[in-house]
Amino acid sequence: MESAILIKNGRVINPTDASGKATSNVANNQSLDIRIRDGKITEMESDLKRRDNESVVDAQGCWVMPGFVDMHTHLRDLGQADREDISTGTKAAAAGGYTTVVAMANTDPPTDCAEILDRVIKRIHERAIVEVLPVAAVTKGLKGVELTNMVEMSDMGAIAFSDDGMPISNLDVLRRAFEYARLHGRPIISHPEDKDLSHGGSMNEGCQSTCLGMKGIPSASEAACVAREIEVLRYTGGRLHFAHTSAKASIDLIRQAKAQGLNVTADATPHHLVLSDADMTPYDTSFKMNPPLRSQKDVEAIEQALAEGVIDAIATDHAPHSKLDKSKPFDHAPFGIIGLETAFSLCFEKLVLSGKMPPNKFLALITTHPAKILGIPAPQISVGSRANIAIVDPEMRWNFEIGESFSKSKNSPFTGRSLKGKNLVTIFNGKIVYLDKERAAKRVQEVCASST
Amino acid sequence: MSDASSLAVETSSKKKMADDKDSNLILPDNLPGLNAWKARRHLLDTKDLSVEEVDALISVAKLCKNIHSKGRPPLTVLSHKVVGNLFYENSTRTRSSFELAARKLGASVLNLDIRMSSVAKGETIEDTARTLVSMGVDAVVQRHSSSGSAHKLAELLKDEVHVLNAGDGWNAHPTQALLDLFSMQETGKAIKGRKVAIIGDITHSRVARSNIWLLQKLGAEIHVAGPPTLVPVELDSFGVTVHEKLEPAIKDADFVIALRLQLERQDEGLIPSIGEYKRLYRLDHERIKRCKADVRVLHPGPVNRGIEITDDLVDDSKVSLVNLQVANGIAVRMAVLYLLMYDGEDS
Repeated sequence: MESAILIKNGRVINPTDASGKATSNVANNQSLDIRIRDGKITEMESDLKRRDNESVVDAQGCWVMPGFVDMHTHLRDLGQADREDISTGTKAAAAGGYTTVVAMANTDPPTDCAEILDRVIKRIHERAIVEVLPVAAVTKGLKGVELTNMVEMSDMGAIAFSDDGMPISNLDVLRRAFEYARLHGRPIISHPEDKDLSHGGSMNEGCQSTCLGMKGIPSASEAACVAREIEVLRYTGGRLHFAHTSAKASIDLIRQAKAQGLNVTADATPHHLVLSDADMTPYDTSFKMNPPLRSQKDVEAIEQALAEGVIDAIATDHAPHSKLDKSKPFDHAPFGIIGLETAFSLCFEKLVLSGKMPPNKFLALITTHPAKILGIPAPQISVGSRANIAIVDPEMRWNFEIGESFSKSKNSPFTGRSLKGKNLVTIFNGKIVYLDKERAAKRVQEVCASST
Repeated sequence: MSDASSLAVETSSKKKMADDKDSNLILPDNLPGLNAWKARRHLLDTKDLSVEEVDALISVAKLCKNIHSKGRPPLTVLSHKVVGNLFYENSTRTRSSFELAARKLGASVLNLDIRMSSVAKGETIEDTARTLVSMGVDAVVQRHSSSGSAHKLAELLKDEVHVLNAGDGWNAHPTQALLDLFSMQETGKAIKGRKVAIIGDITHSRVARSNIWLLQKLGAEIHVAGPPTLVPVELDSFGVTVHEKLEPAIKDADFVIALRLQLERQDEGLIPSIGEYKRLYRLDHERIKRCKADVRVLHPGPVNRGIEITDDLVDDSKVSLVNLQVANGIAVRMAVLYLLMYDGEDS
């Protein structure tokens, strides 16, 4: 009763059909009306009549897709609530069409024990407007020495384990982590970086760093770490997910490992897909992230790997930082950029509008693929499934204005960028959690405004 | 200020400070590049200087050198201006050189000694520079250990002050490159087509970068040599010929610039020992026989005698331009301050 919505005239796009097989092509995706009640999709027909108690969303010209899944965000909160909290972070997620986000464990204090995870989960209940799945640390204090109580935290709801940002450099510890992970069966997410090779660097090592007089981070710092972690995994068995892969050399290693049958998956970020180090505004810390923007050759390798399925998913690595921290000189400023609100449009332009990928295949990269890696139900627009939905106008051109961002932090290299394809409405568990009021207010008719 | 010729300053006619006409800074009427300088607010790098701007600057530097080498009293062209020195890294030489240059043009100089600790306490380069602006400073001469810090400052305070980059991290040290150029040109050789070899720690050197961009613009052929651990990647993509060994780099060179080797590079594991460095890259009379007969050797200073260059070679005034570089530094910095700051009113 409270959350009844009727979506009219939208074109339904699913990454998979009801049996879980990839949908063949867009032409099969029909224009359908969708009825939502009590958090679920109850009907899908070509001409559903509005009932009195229903809000109506006019999705004419829009694509109606399952809500996106971001398997890599930093929602901060706790001791870093000046940068972002779960409320602002999930508002940004909803604005970007995401209904599920995976929150990394490098909180302050780190999510490395039941007490902290409990605090995080409470915050999520209090503040989240979309689903937040917390990640817990692999090692205590993200120090790479002692394993955390992974089973206890898994039972509490930790979706995966990761020392993101602080890769485990001791391979014996990594080995024990892979072995111990059999007890919970959840993925370990690796941030592949050899900290000795990258030490002190603040951008990709290449002609740009040479030109700007900046200490570089060689692509080998990522690839060398991918190589050694693959070898440990080959020995122990288990499954390993590589986050934000940025270098061609790493991707080649992952391709090879997959071909050899290892249970390895990977994601890449929108910014590594659309920008190279040549696109940086020199010394602008909005372009400083880890891994850094790589060369054009690496950008092309990411695009190819997404098309081939070597890279399984796109994840934002949304990483808010305060204006004060980002106003430091480039080499002293922290790594990271926000990305939840721009991810869809950037990738949509780069992959779909360019004709390189059909919409359903792209959609899988931000829905079913990450869901599968995380072991959660595949997002799907079908009768009986949870009503987590993003309604996107694929033709709409818009400017990303940082002042309008829901994030507390403003560190984006895409400020002012003209983008095509805009998420207008996000529905989570049958409720509208985001409506682009400026561009789509007229599309929604609330219950009270229309009934009788 | 109306046209280029109005830049000519008859200080003696306005002030009785000097009878000698050598005290005047009289610029040629039709110096190409002066208008570009009029439009320019900052000097951050040699990358974005046009050849005309460089030529104009060198012309003005010559005039300045004439004036200051004769020990005349200061000019008054910048007498209503204040130059703030903001050095986050120690540098007696560059700072003194800027200070003297500013005083010789009549400007007041404010030296703010910044310890990195105050930055660590949370003061940003913007805060610090704003403090200077609030004190009425017209130009900030900044040295900072972070590459890009001068660009950042210029972006933050673009309409409030002139920013002169006195060295930012590994990135740029434009006045050093300009004084190197001035010193090379004083030997009578035109730079176009000349082979210039830069030797040593290229990676960490803002002097090397600023010289490469500047000298290439003027048509020089740049060769570098240094330990492979101290040469940045893909330097060849900028048209620089990269050698590992010294000998091919200096062969037939017209000019050789030896860079200062920071002794901590050994502790950082970038070179095995100073001894090994000397063995491979130290310039001496024997090695420079491979260069052109009239080769000149430069060094940005301070020289680690016996490490980058032998004692004898530094002191050989027939070959070494080291002392000339220091003297020319003041002239070049006078020219830069004048071109950026002079607004046609000298009290």
